Amino acid sequence: MTKKIISLILSATVAVSTILTGCSGASGGPSSKASDPNTIVIWHDKEDAVADVLKKQLDTLSPDINIKLEKKTDLTESLKMVGDDPKSAPDMYIFAHDKIGVYAEMGILAPITDIIPKKDLTAYMDKTIEAATYKGEIYQLPIYYETLLFMYNRLYMKDEDVPKTTEELYKYMQSHTSGGHYGFVEQHSTPYYAAGWINGFGGQILDDNGKPHLNSEQVENALSYHKKFVKMMPGETEYSTVNTLFSEGMAHSTIAGPWMVPTVKEKGMDVGVAAMPTINETGTPIAPYMGVQGVQVLKNAAKNKTKAVKKVLEVLMKPEVEVELANASGCAPANESCYDLDDIKNDEVVMMMKQTADNAVPMPNLPEMDVMWTVLGDLLTDVNMSGEDIKTSADKAQQKAESLIKSMQ
Amino acid sequence: MEKLRKLFVSMLLMALIIAAVSPAAVYAADSKTDNGDMRLVYANVPDDWKNPCLWAWNEAGDQAYEAWPGEAMTPDSNNKGWYYIYAPSWADHIIVNANAGETQTSEIVLKDGNTWVTVKDKDNAETVTEQQTKGNLPKYEETFKIHVKVDDSWKEPNLWAWSAPDGKNAFDKWPGVALMSGEKWYTGKAPTWVNSIIVNANGGDVKTEDISVDPAELWLTVDKDGKYDLSYVDPEKASVPNITVRVKAPSDWKSPNLWAWSAPDGTNAFASWPGETLEEKDGWLTKEVPGWVNSIIVNGNNGDVQTQDISVDAGKDVWVVVTSADKNQVYYEEPKDAEATSTSETVDEETDKPDTSKKQSKTTPVIPITVVVIIAVAVICIVVVARKKKNKA
Repeated sequence: MTKKIISLILSATVAVSTILTGCSGASGGPSSKASDPNTIVIWHDKEDAVADVLKKQLDTLSPDINIKLEKKTDLTESLKMVGDDPKSAPDMYIFAHDKIGVYAEMGILAPITDIIPKKDLTAYMDKTIEAATYKGEIYQLPIYYETLLFMYNRLYMKDEDVPKTTEELYKYMQSHTSGGHYGFVEQHSTPYYAAGWINGFGGQILDDNGKPHLNSEQVENALSYHKKFVKMMPGETEYSTVNTLFSEGMAHSTIAGPWMVPTVKEKGMDVGVAAMPTINETGTPIAPYMGVQGVQVLKNAAKNKTKAVKKVLEVLMKPEVEVELANASGCAPANESCYDLDDIKNDEVVMMMKQTADNAVPMPNLPEMDVMWTVLGDLLTDVNMSGEDIKTSADKAQQKAESLIKSMQ
Repeated sequence: MEKLRKLFVSMLLMALIIAAVSPAAVYAADSKTDNGDMRLVYANVPDDWKNPCLWAWNEAGDQAYEAWPGEAMTPDSNNKGWYYIYAPSWADHIIVNANAGETQTSEIVLKDGNTWVTVKDKDNAETVTEQQTKGNLPKYEETFKIHVKVDDSWKEPNLWAWSAPDGKNAFDKWPGVALMSGEKWYTGKAPTWVNSIIVNANGGDVKTEDISVDPAELWLTVDKDGKYDLSYVDPEKASVPNITVRVKAPSDWKSPNLWAWSAPDGTNAFASWPGETLEEKDGWLTKEVPGWVNSIIVNGNNGDVQTQDISVDAGKDVWVVVTSADKNQVYYEEPKDAEATSTSETVDEETDKPDTSKKQSKTTPVIPITVVVIIAVAVICIVVVARKKKNKA
């Protein structure tokens, strides 16, 4: 009797699980995956303005190819769960380049050069191709990229007062930080933002071999130099606080993503964007990370839907798609030729991203980077907010990073 | 999109916080409308009407200004006896008043366009839309408010304002314009191109030094020697009594601490992380913090485990039931049967990673549904088997 009940429970479990899995396409929600070789399912996580442009362009392939553009808020986790299941996985996905290593190691991605000739990628900015490359293979067709920008409120900071060097910035902060107003604010203890200072000192958070370098001389120098700026900013600098200080007119300038621009313009701010200040100590500008948004192809689709996938890629390679994205949502085109067009040349924010990209560093796309965000965040908190010794903290962080990376292997 | 969603939520939250702490801590202008949304109101008042002001509203009762007597009007140096102000066009009901609101006209309903009001006395005011003054009309300029508190020995304080280093003055001649007397603060305004001010009194005999300012609403407290404190946050609202934070923390969080600060300015209540120890009192872990605190983190194990940022109302005692690092519930009255075992509010985890995978997603709860369905099916199976066995028997 007991055995029979257990057997029935197990059977029921399997049956229900199968039913649910079949219904939902795993935890990522329902999938409209189709086996039709002329139906291409593309997952993305983009805002409506971007998705609308992509849909409009990809719909030009209809009726020969049917494109299903599906928005996934938990795209990365869903892909981890169903990426190797042809029944549940998409054929392609549009996302930032920094997860390429994770999925390449999972064996679910096809090199983009399996479908389009490598020579066709020469039109793209070198850094976007560098970002798309993992272990020698190009896994992403870049579409656009993002970098942080130096932004200022023209009500307070005149164009001629925009600091060109970090020492000028420091002096500006000294003379304009009082009474609850700040000359400059940034998310000083958030790794993505602090990386610009570290990169500007020639430091590396993670090298190309997946080895952390948190206690290198360059990183320690960056933390040490950066600290005097931190002292003139609020102690709490998470995303909401910093953005609100700037958008509500409590801070003169900030370093933020391009997505901040429409928000503050809506509030009536005359916002300016400028080149990152050059770090006096190194002669190099603050060098933020660069995130490249592009399309990746899953192995199964590359193998079984080659023709349709190629058509999709060809549409997304058209410069006019990138120009339209720039107009719709301030996306900086990955295709170099777009910068010869008036629409792009007249876009102050996009052109400033292009300028910043000259010094920007593509975010590492290695799987090891997953653990580095937390470890670096702890290091920044220790140094900037708890006042702990830089060398001791950096050594501790390095050990932690090495340990976590080891446990991944 | 995740970034935008996050940005939107953050903005909304922070806007609420800022509104609570400093309702006017925005850019600078006392009106965000441009010239097209403003009308020029001129008033010629009797000699004994000192410091005339405009009070304005619309039919629906929306007021153009925060409090009576409204906004001070500016004397027109080219037209003696005339004062002017740009007021929102939608505010088509006005009262001209003077002497700190002690003297006033009756309600005047305006037609479209600029308006000239000639006040003979409180019961007689003539209104026309044809220009009654000579020369060009003053240009509309955005302005920002300046609140001033001076020592009692400083009589009839004035505001002098200019732009440095070019030296362009905002007002015709020293000692500038009279600051309007209010309940606690004198108030004046200056164009947003101004970056330097002096407050003076006693006919200019006493004054502050040159004060560099941002063109944003500000509060200036001046002592008898002219020394001052400058704040872009209303000091009256900043000085609120301490509040008590009471916490229930998970039992495996050793030695829970409280970290507290004010957002968005980032002023911390304690010197260093992980903050100060919460002390057991009446069944709650308790700590008193300054009343301006509006954000807290509860942490344990010397900061190794912690909640996300928890927003609380400034100035209110608060009870926080923490179930786990991700879950907590905030109350402003002591909850009944509060235990750190359940919660109805989930705080999303945010990490520092910049990509769009950084947030815990809110997807359909497939696993709980699965578990419930499995259990239900299993129970049915058991019942069926039991019945079959019973039938066989």
